[in-house]
Amino acid sequence: MSVPVSQMWAVASYVIRQKLAGRKRYPLVLMLEPLFRCNLACAGCGKIQYPAQILRKHLTVEQCLAAVDECGAPVVSIPGGEPLMYPDIGRLATELIARRKYVYLCTNAILLKEKLEAGLFTPSKYFSFSVHLDGLQEEHDEAVCRDGVYVQAVEGIKEALRRGFRVTTNSTLFDGANALRVREFFDEVMNLGVEGMMISPGYSYAKAPDQEHFLRAQRAHDLFSQILANPKRRWRFNQSPLFLQFLMGKQEFECTPWGNPTFNVFGWQRPCYLLQEGYAATFKELLETTRWENYGKRSGNEKCRDCMVHCGYEPTAVNHTFGSWRGFRDTVAATVTGRF
Amino acid sequence: MTDGATLEGWVPEIGPGLSLAEVVDKAFDYRGNVTVVRTDGLETEGYLFNRNADAPEPFVQLFDLAGGGPHTITYREIRTIRFTGRDTAAGNSYAAWLRAKEAAKVANRSEKGSGSTPSSGV
Repeated sequence: MSVPVSQMWAVASYVIRQKLAGRKRYPLVLMLEPLFRCNLACAGCGKIQYPAQILRKHLTVEQCLAAVDECGAPVVSIPGGEPLMYPDIGRLATELIARRKYVYLCTNAILLKEKLEAGLFTPSKYFSFSVHLDGLQEEHDEAVCRDGVYVQAVEGIKEALRRGFRVTTNSTLFDGANALRVREFFDEVMNLGVEGMMISPGYSYAKAPDQEHFLRAQRAHDLFSQILANPKRRWRFNQSPLFLQFLMGKQEFECTPWGNPTFNVFGWQRPCYLLQEGYAATFKELLETTRWENYGKRSGNEKCRDCMVHCGYEPTAVNHTFGSWRGFRDTVAATVTGRF
Repeated sequence: MTDGATLEGWVPEIGPGLSLAEVVDKAFDYRGNVTVVRTDGLETEGYLFNRNADAPEPFVQLFDLAGGGPHTITYREIRTIRFTGRDTAAGNSYAAWLRAKEAAKVANRSEKGSGSTPSSGV
């Protein structure tokens, strides 16, 4: 596993504290979306289809920090939109690091080299660039609907690594993905020298332009089994091994929609990062008034039926690790052997 | 979202066959600006980003065209909602991308085809 020990310890001690306090619902990763504006319009993305006045809006740093403090999660992921287009991204990163939050800045990396050269960021064990790469050059450029983006992203990754930053990749796989090509892609990414990779099947956003290529559950199990059945020792994943086993169909998990709560210009999003069924004014209101029983596979909700995305199931995997001896044993075994 | 599935331009008539709650839900799901027409005739145009039908006093929330707000309007103040703005989720950018890629491939093939024709030596 590639997650640094200090980060693992921060998350583990946080989870144990929540359990000792008897909290039934607690967040692990805050998904902080300071803006919806993006410099790409990817086929599988349902996040950026808004009128101009909404795309022009962004949170203030103070609003972001208030949300971080209110939520209390030990990890903050900054997606969007494209966070490198957020005018105060450097200051936001500095403030979050000062709060000792583990930050993943999720970027398509088109602007990464430019922002690094501008000196906006300082390397820290608390701070990682999580670069969106959906495959090798052909697959990635097709996924983001623009030629040349893969090359720009790789340049950005190299520059960030050269400057001593933590860098991970974040890949979404869709129906039609070729397992052998994905394995080649993993080799390529590890050759770049990144800390680790994150993978997830895509979610069928109702507003995404491409509705035909989202993975259904059994197909996803088959694909991830092919990809991960004989993992190479040099592959490192920046996520729970139990989540990877879940993708392969080896673990039965239920969604934890409150595990990765989302805050953006509209407020606290109900019920999760993927579904938009309304907004709460405070995190407390989100936790207390959302009808959680209406979400997840067992609920029978059509929108949740085929979802296997990490924002719902990675918190379940982490909770399983610290909630049972079996979960802990499975995690340790996968970590030590490098097999899933 | 595919071409033709949009509610853009819809002016719903709320009545026995169509409740206000249904129209609010469609407006909430719509990725364009709408115009909320109040019972007193006042109109507010903007992006309807939130609705809560379970609150003691059900309400909607909008950001207006200048991005100001949120403006909160209760259900009982609403006469109807017109779908006046462009549906930003309509159209089909993915299909457009595929068409452009296909056209580029065809152009590339025809270029190669003409290039590979052996010279006649003339």
